[in-house]
Amino acid sequence: MMIDIRKTLGATALLALAACSPAEQPVVHVYNWSDYISDAVIERFEEQTGIKVVYDVYDANEILEAKLLAGRSGYDVIFPTAHPFAERHIEAGLYLPLDLAQLPSHRNLDPILMQKLQSVDPGNRHTVPYMWGTTGIGYNVEAVTAILGEEAELDSWSLLFDPETAESLSGCGIAVLDDEGEALAAALLYLGLDPNTTDPDAIQAATDLFMSVRPFIRYFHASKYINDLANGDICVAHGYSGDVLQARDRAEEAGRGVEVAYAIPQEGAVLWVDLMAVPADAPNPEQAHAFIDFLMVPENIAEITDEVAYANANRAATEFVDAEIRNDPGVYPTDDLRERLVTLDPLPDDVQRARVRAWTQIKTGR
Amino acid sequence: MTGRRPFWLFTALAFGYAFLYLPIVTLIVYSFNDSRLVTVWGGFSTRWYGELLRNEQILAALWLSVRIAAMNATFATVLGTLAALTLVRFARFRTRMLFAGMVAAPLVMPEVILGLSALLMFVTLEQMVGWPAGRGMTTITIAHITFTTAFVAVVVQSRLSQLDGSLEEAAMDLGARPWKVFLVIILPIISPALIAGWLLGFTLSMDDLVIASFVSGPGATTLPMVIYSSVRMGVSPQVNALATIIVVVVSTGVVVAGWLLHRQGRRRQS
Repeated sequence: MMIDIRKTLGATALLALAACSPAEQPVVHVYNWSDYISDAVIERFEEQTGIKVVYDVYDANEILEAKLLAGRSGYDVIFPTAHPFAERHIEAGLYLPLDLAQLPSHRNLDPILMQKLQSVDPGNRHTVPYMWGTTGIGYNVEAVTAILGEEAELDSWSLLFDPETAESLSGCGIAVLDDEGEALAAALLYLGLDPNTTDPDAIQAATDLFMSVRPFIRYFHASKYINDLANGDICVAHGYSGDVLQARDRAEEAGRGVEVAYAIPQEGAVLWVDLMAVPADAPNPEQAHAFIDFLMVPENIAEITDEVAYANANRAATEFVDAEIRNDPGVYPTDDLRERLVTLDPLPDDVQRARVRAWTQIKTGR
Repeated sequence: MTGRRPFWLFTALAFGYAFLYLPIVTLIVYSFNDSRLVTVWGGFSTRWYGELLRNEQILAALWLSVRIAAMNATFATVLGTLAALTLVRFARFRTRMLFAGMVAAPLVMPEVILGLSALLMFVTLEQMVGWPAGRGMTTITIAHITFTTAFVAVVVQSRLSQLDGSLEEAAMDLGARPWKVFLVIILPIISPALIAGWLLGFTLSMDDLVIASFVSGPGATTLPMVIYSSVRMGVSPQVNALATIIVVVVSTGVVVAGWLLHRQGRRRQS
């Protein structure tokens, strides 16, 4: 019996020692989307800084938001989507203002993008952009050229909104994102109107436009089009660049002769950006800054882009990116096109209500 | 047993089995698929098993899930049994209806609400008394216990209510103390229900995504969370490989348990 007690005591003492050993390694708790980073970069960060990375993943901004709002999430670096999430988090004071002195690589960031992000984060004080993409058109190259002919303009919203074109494409399938903001923005851009408009007439015009092509739209869905495009079940999809490029890769891997391409419409498209931020109650803000700075070093972020195939927001990194990705206008649009990308802004409640009502009307077709 | 069984009976049986097991068979078959696409066959290969064994994220999550599930099942069985005993043994006490309702409430409560309320409770507790410091394995386990206890209580309760009260009375007549009656008489009789409750608690905990997502913290990502979050980029066949291994382990367990029970039954008969 004595021995048992002594053993237990010994074990407890050992545990206690282990728990408060003086050489405790600094940690950074990173909370990111799944498959959105390169493991090699994390390992290099750990080697170079001696900071241990505890890496967790989430699948939806909502989960991240729930944890942030509850407080004391315990995470040091998070990757929220700029609109509408980071925007309202900043408004609610959930993020720590970044200390630029600790972020020497900050100067590498793309000024055009930073300018566009001002509407989300005034003064770019709380966030830095990580990866970005657009919402455009994914299409089945062979099927669409077979129907519309070789010379048809494929980088235009007219694929969706021109009733004649849409009718001829309806046979092989058109899909639209089930997202009020994105879908109405596309219609407004096609009409040459401001996608963030508060004018009821403009919203009505967009609704009418949608109703004119409504019979030719097969379905509204947030992600189903990825597989359907890859399998050749639909031929035009209004979708996120990353998803369409993923559909392209899947189609290639399947090797069934389906070729998917992505185009940013010349009328303009919605830009989405995932940001990096530090929660206001982060336990290790210093390590968080070190991590964010490491990801803004051109070589590092370029390696991540090579792996995840999204464009990063780092001007200096572009030359290090794999040529195939760098020269893909779907991922890295030309400067001219870049200027025509728009961010979605927060809208007053009554406008938002009117838009949601319009969207319900469009989806139900009545 | 000489007559021919009706043809449709076999058809129904075949359909029934197909309905239950075809998805699992598909999953196992595709775990040996060489293609990265889960839905397209690209030739036989075991490379996903190799990659799975090198995927530290999935393995760490699996180990975490197993530990949480085992701990949760054990605590839930103890608490659930206590609750069931109270409900069956004490036919009338003032708050009985309330207690019965409260025990069963998590059965019908949406997981989202359970998860969110647990999260808010943990955060408030941390602010007030400093415990639990941060969220992680402990908080997930506690949250799981609160909802699996209800399931265990239901299972044990049904077994207890079938229990013959005279056995207990006989033991007491012969001089056994209540504690001894519980240990020597009741516990062995309800042990199948306890085992069933434990396994149920284990499964429910392994399965749970919603509650765990809410109450997990840094460094605590359970297996369902890893799998679900990877869906955004398309499920990797590694998940198929992992599921196949789990199916094999579970079916081996079931076969061994069945064989043991069978042997025991025969011994009792002879």
